This record gives sequence, structure tokens and C-alpha cells, in this order.
Amino acid sequence: MIELLTSHYTYVLVFVLLGLGIYMTIASENLVKKLIGVSLFQTAIFLFFISMAYIEGGSAPIVPAEADPGRLMVASPLPQVIVLTAIVVGIALTAVGLALVIRIYAEYGTLREDTLREVRADE
Amino acid sequence: MSNVELLPPLLIAAPLLAATLPIVLGLWTDRTGWPIAAVTTTGLFGAAVALASAVYTGTDVPVTHELGGYPRTYGIQLVADQFSVLIALLVTAVATGVLVYTRQGGPRGNTFYTAYLLLTGGLLGITLTGDVFNLFVFLEITSIATYALVASGDGPESAVAALKYLILGTMAASMYLIGVAFLLMATGTLNMIELAMAIPAAERPTLIRAGFGFIAVGFVTKVAQWPLHTWQPSAYQQAPDGVTPLIAALVSTASAYAFGRLIVTVFGVDYLTAMPNAAAIVLTIGCVSVLAGTVLAVIQTEVKRMLAYSSVSQFGLVIAAYGVVIAGSSETAFIGAAIHLLGHGLLKAGLFLGAALVARSYGARTVDEYAGLAKARPVVAGAMAVLLLSLVGVPPGVGFVGKWYIALGAVQSQLWPVAAVIFLSTMLTLAYAARLLEKMYFTPPAALDWPRTREPVATDGGDTTVSIGMLAIVVIAAVGAVALGFAGGTIAGLLEPFLIEVFN
Amino acid sequence: MVADIRPLAAVLVSAVAIVLIIASHRRPNLREGWSVLAALAKFGLVVSMLPAVMDGTVFRWSLKESTGIQFLAGIDFALRADPLGIFFALLASFLWIFTSFYAAGYMRGLSEHDQTRFFASFAASLSAAVGIAFAANLVTIFVFYELLSLVTYPLVAHNEDEEARIAGRKYLTYTFFGGGVFLLAGTVMIYWLTSLVGGPTLAFEAGGMEALAAAAQVEPVYAQAAFFLLIAGFGVKAALMPLHSWLADAMVAPTPVSGLLHAVAVVKSGAFGVARVILEVYGPGLIYDLPLDVPGIGEVGLNIPVAIVAAFTLTAASIIAMRKDHLKRRLAYSTTAQLSYIVLGLSLLHPYAIVGALFHIPAHAFAKLTLFFCAGAIHVETHTDYISEMAGIGKRMPLTMSAFTIGAAGMAGLPPIAGFVSKFYMLIGAGDVGGSYWLFAGALLLSAVLNIAYFWPVVYTAFFESEDRHDAKPLLEFPEGGLIQSYAATADDESVAADGGEPADTSGIENEPHAADTDDYEYAVDKYPSDHTTADDTDAPSQHTDARATEASTRDDHDDHDDHDDHDEAVAAVDHHGDHDDHLTGGPPAGGWPRRSPRTESTWLMLAPIAVIATGAVVLGIGPDYAVFLELATRIVEGVFGMPFEQLGDVPFGELMTEVTN
Repeated sequence: MIELLTSHYTYVLVFVLLGLGIYMTIASENLVKKLIGVSLFQTAIFLFFISMAYIEGGSAPIVPAEADPGRLMVASPLPQVIVLTAIVVGIALTAVGLALVIRIYAEYGTLREDTLREVRADE
Repeated sequence: MSNVELLPPLLIAAPLLAATLPIVLGLWTDRTGWPIAAVTTTGLFGAAVALASAVYTGTDVPVTHELGGYPRTYGIQLVADQFSVLIALLVTAVATGVLVYTRQGGPRGNTFYTAYLLLTGGLLGITLTGDVFNLFVFLEITSIATYALVASGDGPESAVAALKYLILGTMAASMYLIGVAFLLMATGTLNMIELAMAIPAAERPTLIRAGFGFIAVGFVTKVAQWPLHTWQPSAYQQAPDGVTPLIAALVSTASAYAFGRLIVTVFGVDYLTAMPNAAAIVLTIGCVSVLAGTVLAVIQTEVKRMLAYSSVSQFGLVIAAYGVVIAGSSETAFIGAAIHLLGHGLLKAGLFLGAALVARSYGARTVDEYAGLAKARPVVAGAMAVLLLSLVGVPPGVGFVGKWYIALGAVQSQLWPVAAVIFLSTMLTLAYAARLLEKMYFTPPAALDWPRTREPVATDGGDTTVSIGMLAIVVIAAVGAVALGFAGGTIAGLLEPFLIEVFN
Repeated sequence: MVADIRPLAAVLVSAVAIVLIIASHRRPNLREGWSVLAALAKFGLVVSMLPAVMDGTVFRWSLKESTGIQFLAGIDFALRADPLGIFFALLASFLWIFTSFYAAGYMRGLSEHDQTRFFASFAASLSAAVGIAFAANLVTIFVFYELLSLVTYPLVAHNEDEEARIAGRKYLTYTFFGGGVFLLAGTVMIYWLTSLVGGPTLAFEAGGMEALAAAAQVEPVYAQAAFFLLIAGFGVKAALMPLHSWLADAMVAPTPVSGLLHAVAVVKSGAFGVARVILEVYGPGLIYDLPLDVPGIGEVGLNIPVAIVAAFTLTAASIIAMRKDHLKRRLAYSTTAQLSYIVLGLSLLHPYAIVGALFHIPAHAFAKLTLFFCAGAIHVETHTDYISEMAGIGKRMPLTMSAFTIGAAGMAGLPPIAGFVSKFYMLIGAGDVGGSYWLFAGALLLSAVLNIAYFWPVVYTAFFESEDRHDAKPLLEFPEGGLIQSYAATADDESVAADGGEPADTSGIENEPHAADTDDYEYAVDKYPSDHTTADDTDAPSQHTDARATEASTRDDHDDHDDHDDHDEAVAAVDHHGDHDDHLTGGPPAGGWPRRSPRTESTWLMLAPIAVIATGAVVLGIGPDYAVFLELATRIVEGVFGMPFEQLGDVPFGELMTEVTN
């Protein structure tokens, strides 16, 4: 356990963040906070990818053309690419989500899910 | 490079690029969306047919394409094999068919068709990709387009439904992404074929197991299995009538297809069979969803909502079939799952189109309001009856064929409780299908409602005309459902090479 | 095996007729013409195959061979006309001819709604029934079995009222449970079992499927389970207890449906399926040899549980039938009992019993169709559904009631009606095996007595009683256990003194103090036509209203109404289905039944079929050797046991069973 904390502490951190995100999404009644929870969850995944690719002493995977490729230690580029793509996807999702929240707010005048439920039940 | 190899990237790129056209051209005129979408989807259907004929008759199978020419180890590969082409045909056919309805009935406007084409492109991407991360991207493209389409319904309810869907759907996709991360960690590759080779040899199987767990949870949510189905009924119900057929027929189907693809191609049946509890969990989820979905469907009053819960139970059958595939290495169950995916997509597209037609021309949205439909709208009622019965599994409908193979697989694997659930599902499906049939055919409309005084609750300005095309597309779906009922052996034959490869 | 399109044509001819019937929905004469034409064409096609089939040819049509389409992997969608198939197809298509005339008369006589849907569904039912007859393997039979359930549903729910809808729901539930669950499960299991010992197969083989016999040695328990699943699947339509109750409820359907479908085509398809399973899927030898270990008794053949269920059903259903006042319901329970004869005969496995059982299919069909046609004719002409209202109806409908008597005698197995021949064979078969099989022979004999017990009262009340003077029906009207009382009051008789104030009569239903006043008329409908007989327009209306006027002068409306209430309650206590709801429309007109000659009692559209079918029942009974059915039945048995019928009697039963296995 101790060893896990010392050597793989980023993973532990990442999973704590994941837990926070999912908890926030489920427990918070506020729609915006739910979306923040979703974003947090996704960000934790990005960090998971990044920390997975990290190697001790490696540099960014930008390889100068002239250098000897075998000598230079770089982090795996694949996760970096993935994270870049996933960030874009995440932004798009958050944008759509917020747009929906704005529409709901304009219509019902509330951001709280419990109030929303009551308002819809009344209609 | 032969021309066939260009078809997979074309199938994905064309709709995505065409999706921008309605917006661009919308700067000058408003009515460009439908023609662009129609031309694109028809072309896509043609391309899918060409691809299918190449895949099913050609020798050079699967048809693959490396995007940008990078090798598959780190590039993205598109794969069209016997399984994926089947779904690609369904996607393009339904996307083309639904357009016939939306021309007059559906939401109008160029942005709608942008989302429509994005959705089609995303679905085709899910179908054809050979890369697990690329699959995530296409899942999200599909999802975002679906959220937008659901939210384009009238009234604020659709926004609430879309947001609910967005939160659960994003969570599901993120779960899948975590699973992919674990796979990448264990194997260092993202290509499906490379993964298939690397997974059995992986040094740390715990990572693979964790990866499978997260991926399973992600797809179970995306496919709307109990208890993670809650987004689906309200999304289907609140989406505009022209959109529901598309998303009900395709979105969950594509996710279920992807799950099946991961099970048989990436993880490999043998590996999963050896994985503790994998089969039991998948089987349990599937069987419970079959039962829960039907019970919930029976108690619904809204027809669209009832059909949505029906999807939960029908996909439960597919997931249960995957469970049988894992537990018993059953090829038969896999054929059943593939046919049921195809058949259910067609049936639900037809049924939701029928429900849309009824809502538009007859003003009926609840089961009770369907009373007397058979006399007032005999053609729609007849087509819906055929589709419903096919869904129940009355032979020779496509629902029966899928059920036959799944049940046979379960019996061959001697999974008796699963077999019992599958056989009973006929009765359970009948419970809600017969309710609707009885209303349509044997219940005279209530005296107070007839003649109808209130305006039909059509979504678009009370336009209640029904074009011949709209009617024809429902009838075609019904005819197709029966015709496919005779194609059980043919489809199994088409899938045969794929099965030999993955089940060896 | 000869490839031939005729089996398919025989199935499809009525399917084509559906299109024509729907297309000509505006012209009833043309529409009914199509029905008759399709019936004739279907019968002609079946008959055209008959001589060759009798000579041992089997006509076969397969979807794969003719179009190249494979229905399911490893399973062909195939039809074949073998002796057993043609047996059932011949019966169904022959009787359809007369039923289509009768149905036209019936539906028009009642001015029913949705006649187009009715005739279309009817034609579809016949398509499915012939499909079942000609199905060459279990999947094909399953397809048609499900379709049959489906297309008969509109006929059951035809009335579109709450009762019909509930009956329809029950019908769908039962039949789909039988077909979609049990039968499908059994079929899948057979496919799996045969795949264990080689190529999977589902095709019927006379004497049993060889692959299955081999597989049963490997997996005996699953083979037994599959057997019972299949029997249960077909048993639902054959109305084996405890899966029988849909049949009585399905009697809300128009009478031609009850007659041809719920006494012949649909229910017999269940019995026919049982025959296929016993004779051509498992085969008598395998059923006999596959021991079922019953705790406390030891090993018994698989046929014994089936035989016990059938014997129980035929006894219990006969007893229930005695207490049914609704004529069609009584006939329905009689059908339940008679179908169990067939199942019982088949499950005895003895060749004679099998011949008897097979011959009972047409024997019962002719007799029961006569009975239903009579019930329908009575309903159309007089709107009378209840036996307690039929006193003296013999003079109103002499020909109908005579035919009814013939049918009833056939049911009871009295010579010279067809039912006798079949029961005779079954009794010989049971006796020949001996041992515990005597019990089944006893059940057969007991049931014959019970048959008389429930049909004789109908005949008796129709011919030997009159509407103003008749006995109570003790089994119907009195509480269980009986009550010795007879009452005779006339319609105009106001003497209420006779009741003597015995509240005990009424089994405590009437609690009001003034009950004694109405006690005597507890079954007032026996004597009084209702005030609400507005639908009774087929009888001379003037006479009717005159009588009504005199009656009204002696009894006030309120009183009369009370009577009906009491009556309804009392009968509800007797009849579990409370099927007296529509009681107010039947019964004799106030002046009693008018006397009619056979020529004027009803329309020829109904009378001719009744006469023909009743004659058929007699012909089958007098000359079974000349009517084709008995010969076909012996052909089938010869095919199953693989030796000429004459020799079968000489071989001991145990040896016969082992012979067949080889």
C-alpha cells in the first residue's frame, strides 16, 4: 500500500479525482455542478493517460530531425495524442451541455434538479 | 490501391464533410438541408452496398484502409469485414429511409440536417473503425449529434431529456476511455488486431480485466441496459418524431455492435471465457434487462416510451447473447446477436416511423388513443402490427430468426436459465405488443374522443398530411422485417468466414 | 419423395384468397364466393395428391430446393404431403367447404360487423392449418403453429367488446405460451440433441427420427425434457388440462369459428402435433424405451404421464361439461374431452389405439362440427344460447335438433356413428396391452357414459319437453350435491303458492324477506322471455308483443326485473364463468316455440351444411372402410411400425416396441 502510494501516487490521485467527479455528478442537484463533475471526471482520465506515458528522465516526444533517434528518451507520444483529441471532444461536450442548461434555465428558471422535477410535475 | 479500399474512408468522411454544407449554404438559402442529406445518404447507401458486395463476394477480405498511410501499429485503420458491413448497411439504409419521413414531417432547418449527417458519419465511423481510441471519438461524435437532435424537439422537456442523456452518455464514454487506457497500459497499442494479439500475452492480466470491466460498464450504459437505461426512454420520447426512428434504430445498435466487436475481435472469446466472472456478469445484465425492460414497457401509457423500454429488453437479448458467446464460445449465439441487432434496428425504425405517422395524422400518442386506428388508418396499423408481431418473434419475422439463434446458442451451451429467459421473452414482449394490437384492432374509439375535437399534437404547426412516401417507408420496413425472416440462413452464411476467423 | 409444388399451393391458395377477400370487401357475394372457391381449390389440390399418397408417394416442396433460400442455418423450410399430413389437410379442407357456406349464412343472419376481416382471418386460419398438416420439420410446423395462433386471434376477439377482448387476451397468452415458449424450446432442444450425434436435423421420419434415438442414449434426461416440452406445446392447442381454459372462453367467437377452428382446425392441429411428435419425432419405440424414473413407482415409459393427463382431462372435462348451461361452452368442454381421447389413444402407443386415435380426428370433427353448426343455427334463428331455455325447441328447429342428436350420439360413441369406430379401436388397443392400461380403457368407457349424461339432457329437453312444462336441470341449477325438486309452472301460471317458502332451495342467495314471492321463478327465464328481447326479431313479432301484453298485465315490470336479478345471482353461483350475462336475449317467445317444418326453420346456407356434415358422420360410422380416413390411418400406422396392419395384431406389444426402435 505504502509502496503504491510512493511509486504510483499519480494513479491514486487520478482515481480520487475520478471518484470526486462521479460523486459530484450523482450527488449535486445543481445542473451546472453536474457538468463540472463530468468535466472533472474526464480531466482525471486525461491525467491518467498522461501519467501512464510518463517515464523517468524522458522529454517531450518532439524529436529533433538531426539527433540520433535511439539515444533520446521521450515519453510515449500515443497517449499525448489521445489526450489532445479527448480534450477537444470534452470541450465540445461541455459546450453542448451548457447550451442545454441555458435552455432549461430559460424555460424553467432553475438550475436545481429537484426544483426542476417539481416544476415539471406541476405542468 | 483498388477502389474498394477507398470506400471505408469515403463512407465516414463524406457525411462528416457534407454536414458542413447545409450550414454554409444556409447563408444563402434555407432549404438546402434535405436535398444535401438525401443525396449524401443515398450515396452512402450505394457505397455501403458496393462495399458489402466486395466483402461478401470478394476474396480480399476484410477490406482495410490505413488512414494517412501510417501502419496500423500507431496509425488508424478502417476495417470492413462481414460483421461491420452488415451494420453499415443497416445504418445507411435507415438513415436514407428516415429522410423520407423528415422531408415533410420532421424537424426542418439546415442545422437539423447537419446534425443528421454528423450522426450518420459517427455511426459509420463506429462501425468501420479498427482502432479502439478512434472508436471513442466516433462514439462521442455520435453522442453529440444525438444530444443535439434530441434537444431539437419542441418544448423544454426535450432539453431536460437531452441533458440527462448527455450526462449519462458522457460518463459512459469516459468509462470506455478508462478501459482503453488500461488496455493501452497493458499492451501499448490501440489497434484492434494488434490488441487481439497482445492481450493474451499481456504480462499484467489485472489491467486487462479492469479494462474489460470499465469497457463493459461504458457500453452497458450506451446500450441502455438496466439499471443504467434511465436516459433512454425520455430521450426517445422527447426527441422529435422524425429523429426517434433514427436514434432508436441506430445509436444503441452501433454501441452494441462495438461491444460485440470488442468481445470477439479485441479480447477474444477464449480469453474472456477464461476471465473470471466476465460471462456471468454480462449474462446477468442481459437477462435482467430483458425482464426489467418488458415489465417497464408493459406499464407505460405513451407509445413511444413503451417502445423505448422495449428497446431495453431487446438489447438485453443481444447482451445476453454476448454472454452466451463468452460463456459457451457459441458461434450460434453470435449469429443471433448480429441478426437481432440488424432486425431490431429495422423493426424499431419502422415502429417509431409508424408511431410518428400516427401522431401526425391521427393525433394519438398514448396506447389508449390508438383505439380504432385499424379502421381509420388501415395501412399504418397493418404495418405496425406486422412489425410488432415480428418483434414478439412470430415467425417468419426477423425477430424470430434472431431469437432462434440466440436460444439455440444458449441451449447448446447448456445455459438453461438464460434459455428460459429467452423463451419467456416471447411472452413478455407479447404482453405489451398485444396491448397495442388490441387497442388498434379490437377497441372502438371512445365515444368522447370521436370525432376528435382537439387538434392533433403534431410537432410542426399542425400539419397533418401524410405523404405516400411516409406511408411507403413504414410498409417497406414491415415487408423487410418479414423478408429478412427468410434470410436467417443467408445471413448466417455471410457471417461464416468472420466466425471462422474469430472463433477458430 | 417427389418434388411437387402442390403442398405449397394447397397452403397458399387460401392466402391468395385473403387478398381477394379484402379486395372485394364492398361486394359480399363476391367475397364469400372467393371463400368457397378457395375452399374448393384447396380441397381439390389435396384430393389430387391423395391417390398417389395412398400408394406411398410423398410429395415434397422445399424452399431451399426451389429458391435456394435457406430459412435458418441447417434448417429447410419444407412442406411435404405424407399420409399423416394429407389426413389432416383432407379433413380441414373438406370441412372448410361447408363451413364457408355456413359462415356466410351465419354472419349474414346476424348482420355481423367486420365480415371482411372475419372471412380473411378464416381463410388465413385454413392456410396455417394446412401448413401445419404439410410441415416437413419441427421448425416449419412451429412457423405455421404460431401463425395459426395469430390469425385466429381476430376471430376470437371479433365481437370487440370487453368479454371478447379478455377472451382474446387469454387465447393469445395460452397459445403463444404453448407455441412460442414450449414448442420453440422443445424444437431448439431437439435440434441441439440431434447435433450431438451428427448433423442436426428436425425433419419428421415415420417411426421416429433416428438421430434423436441415438441422441437419447447420450442425453436421456434432456431428451425426456424435450419430449414433454413438445407435448406441452401442442397440448395447449389440444386443450389438455391444465392448459384448457382458453377453449371455453374462445367460445365468444362467432359459431363458425367455434365449429371449424375450435373443434376442428385449431385444436386438432394440437392433437395432430402430438401425433407428429409421438409417431414421427420420437417414435413409439423410443418413447416406450426412454424410461422415466418416478419415485415410488419405478420406471415408466414417457407415454404414461401423457396418457394419465389425457385420461384425467377427458374425465374431468366431461364432468365440467355437465354443469355448463351455455350450449357452446358445454360443447367446448366436450371438445376438450374428445381431444384427450386422441391424445390418449396416441399415447397408448399400441397400433390399434393409434389407428383409433387418428380416426377419431375426423370422427370427432364431423360430429362436433354438426353440433356447433346446430348451436349456431339455434343462435341465429332464436338467439337462444342456454340449454335451460331450449325446452321444446325441437318443434321449432326439427332438422337442426335431429342433426344435433346424431352428433351427440357420435360423441358418446354409439354405433353407427363415426365415434364408435374410433373408440372401438382405442379400447381394443388398450385391452391388448393389458395391465395398467385397463385403467385407460376404463376412462374411455366412463367418459362415454358421461358424454351421454351431458348430451342427452339437451336432446331430451328439445324434443320431449315443452317450454311451458319441463323439468329443472338438476346439475345446472341446483347446488352441487343435488336437490330433489321439480317444478312446472307455465308462462301464464300465476300460482306462486307452489313454492311453499323454502328458502333452502336457493342456497342462501336470497335473503330478502319478500324472496318467497319470487322463489318459484328463480329460473324465470326458463318460462319467461325477457322484457328485453328486442333482438328477437326473427320470430313473429306481433305474436311476441301480444303475449308480452298479457304477461305484463299479470306481472309488473319491477317484479320481473327482480326475478332476473335473483336468477343471475343464482346462476352465477352455479356457473363459474357467470356466462349468463347475455341471458336476456334468448329463450322461447312468449307463446312458445312455433312449429316449423325442416325446410323453413332456417336458411339453406346453414341447413345444407348441417345436413351434409351430419350425414358424413353417419357415413364414417357405417362404412369406415369406404371413407378414406380409416385407410389413411392404417397407412400411417403401417409406416410407423414398418409392417402391414394385419400382422400388427399378432405381434406382442413389448416386441412391437423394440422392433420399432431398430
